[in-house]
Amino acid sequence: MADLPLSGIRVLDFTWAWAGPFCTMQLAHLGAEVIRIETTARPPCVTRAVPPFADDIPGPNRAGYFNQYNQGKRAMTLNLARPEATDIICAMLKHFDIVADNFAAGIMDKLGLGYEKLRGIKPDIIMIQMSGYGQTGPFKGFVGYGPPASAASGIFHGTGYPGGEPMEVGISYPDPNAGIFGAFAVMAALTHRALTGEGQYIDQSQWETALVLMPEGMLEQEFNHREPVRKGNRDTLMAPHNCYKAAGDDETWVAIAVGNEDEWRAFCQAIGQPGIATDPRFATAALRKQNEDALDAIITGWTKERDRWEVAKLLQSAGVAAFPSMGNKDLAEDPHLRERGFLVELEHPEVGKRIHAGIPWRMSGTPCAVKSPAPLRGADTEYVLKTFLGYTSDRIEQLRKAEILI
Amino acid sequence: MENKSPFSQIKIVEAGEGISAAFGAKMIADVGAEVVKIEPPGGDLTRRRGPYPGDTPDPEKSGLFIYLNANKRGVVADLTRPEGQELLGKLLANADLLIHNVVPSQRAAQGLNSTALLAKFPKLIVTSIARFGDTGPYADWKGYELISSHAGGWAYLSPGASPYPDQPPLKCFGSQCEFQGGIHAATVSLAAYLHRLKSGKGQAIDVSEQECVAAMLENNFMHWTYAHRQTSRLGRRILGPWFITDCADGKIFALAVEEAQWKALVELMGNPEWAQDDLFKDRIARGENMDALIALSAEWFAQWKVQDLYREAQNRRIPFAPVNTMSALYKSDHLAERKFFVDLDQPGIGPVRLPGAPTKYGTTQWSLRRPAPRLGEHEEEVYCGELGLTPERLNQLRQARVA
Repeated sequence: MADLPLSGIRVLDFTWAWAGPFCTMQLAHLGAEVIRIETTARPPCVTRAVPPFADDIPGPNRAGYFNQYNQGKRAMTLNLARPEATDIICAMLKHFDIVADNFAAGIMDKLGLGYEKLRGIKPDIIMIQMSGYGQTGPFKGFVGYGPPASAASGIFHGTGYPGGEPMEVGISYPDPNAGIFGAFAVMAALTHRALTGEGQYIDQSQWETALVLMPEGMLEQEFNHREPVRKGNRDTLMAPHNCYKAAGDDETWVAIAVGNEDEWRAFCQAIGQPGIATDPRFATAALRKQNEDALDAIITGWTKERDRWEVAKLLQSAGVAAFPSMGNKDLAEDPHLRERGFLVELEHPEVGKRIHAGIPWRMSGTPCAVKSPAPLRGADTEYVLKTFLGYTSDRIEQLRKAEILI
Repeated sequence: MENKSPFSQIKIVEAGEGISAAFGAKMIADVGAEVVKIEPPGGDLTRRRGPYPGDTPDPEKSGLFIYLNANKRGVVADLTRPEGQELLGKLLANADLLIHNVVPSQRAAQGLNSTALLAKFPKLIVTSIARFGDTGPYADWKGYELISSHAGGWAYLSPGASPYPDQPPLKCFGSQCEFQGGIHAATVSLAAYLHRLKSGKGQAIDVSEQECVAAMLENNFMHWTYAHRQTSRLGRRILGPWFITDCADGKIFALAVEEAQWKALVELMGNPEWAQDDLFKDRIARGENMDALIALSAEWFAQWKVQDLYREAQNRRIPFAPVNTMSALYKSDHLAERKFFVDLDQPGIGPVRLPGAPTKYGTTQWSLRRPAPRLGEHEEEVYCGELGLTPERLNQLRQARVA
């Protein structure tokens, strides 16, 4: 077995949708054996059910959304509506270190899998529940989805074009964010256990994990009783600082940010307009900010005639921060991400080789790699029951017929 | 406050500037690790960004700096000079983890080359966060938050279903890419620490902000690799209802994409006749005809106060949420009952109410034990008391503007 940070750690993964699976995927990347519990007794989890499907052919094992966020895991089917399923989980529990879910508050208790029960079986178990609003408080029963969590946490209120209304942010950001904070909490609990021998229970609210990302806005309110000003791609202090139209269709843009006087002079030289460096309207950072509209008009006049990569390479070679605004195709074909090994392409039994986003870190001593593509539904049911419970094939067949392993 | 956490035995040195490394170190500091933050002689750049009480710039009163650096002790060391690097070496000799976000091109000059550090301190964990990672063709390219949000592919998708096609891809509020670099770095640093408890070995960790962002683009990345479709900020929502709309006293985000949620919403609206129209027969049709849906429901939404509609909808399992202002967040009953906000007594300001623990631990103690440091506040304590410098030597270093 590879010697990875979480080698030997096992996770019972009840998570669904995006936030929870994003958490347990990090654990799989770090070397844990993650067993997903799914059922066919109910409609499949949203990520198995929505496009894109490989080559537009629908199927629960063909969904890119599921296959992205469940890399490196195993999967078994188990009908949790049946008490026998709960018995199976409890019987296996001693082999596991972590139990994770992102159900609404109270569901695990209803399934007979609450923390007190699990702790009675395995005293040092670590249980993390990642619900929308947390397990306590007046809103604990509220339905939490990712996009509304962006609204609730003030992210929409702070985002928007200058002078415009609150805007959405394109992705369901609080979902992966809750996932990575959940992964941190599990690492903290594992560290705590390694240092003291104690397991613990973790209550995580998706809303709260998003709120800790809002200090600039919250402290403006706390100090000055003022809401943050929507700035689009602009900055409070820096100018130029925007996303500019490049040559090409509606989808070609390049971001440029100038952070100090050296960069400003280099920028003016690089775009072949040294004259604006001495233009009194742009003489200081404060004046550039004040006259930002005029400055942005000059810059757009230059960028819109040029390829976005030409702009980025020219400015970067002059020491100025610039980058094309990257779409999905750009990322999938990017030579930098490929050279770094971020893009992974493993053979999946149903969809073949597809490029996925891989691991955003490298470890020199414990090289993590995506272990396997996302599992087919129920692919590891037999493996799990034989390995952890010593069940025979006959017994497994009986359980299938009794509709417990569906 | 005395630190009895088992994490107190984890010693962290933090270097660099801004948010990513500071937030990564904060995550571990807040559960009990001891952090020494090294600032450059001019102070961290977040000291110069505010927000400040009364809008009066003061490097000791930046809200962002205070939020990121409570629980840490602070020293100054000019790492571009040999004397500064000597201080760094002494600090690292007693440390478990170094976390920094100094750009790859400047690391050798600041004594922060990971390989060289590991040769000297084989048990040390060296975690670096860079805009584009430590290697590859763009490793030395410059970046700011804006650049990361576009380079990682997030801004390109934002706001989504944009009503303003002539407007550019839109950066999200705040410093989300830096925060993601920080939380990823903290997570992987603890993983490396766990590994060190077993193996006794340190290692180097390379975190790329661009990759952290590119790994969280929902299903957009696979639209290309699975179905050869390019996605962008344009287009329309596939499912509905899904929109921001006006209530009497603010905005609400209206989401009801499951059939049961739609039925509950129609009932809450008093079963208006238009809702039975074929235009809204299923969630795909409700996505296609969202503009009509928004227009037809506008009058009904406008009768409600945001908080009343939020609760009524949620009581019927409809996942609406208010487009909360910061002011509304500070007033939330739910967050108050969960004791989410915490008051930090920051010298020179008084109590500052800050966002608190992202996670409620059953056993591990999350706490703010000390205020954010003044620039160089802990130099005597750390350099003289713990590293054995004489007061005269510290004075020399200060006069030479190294400390």
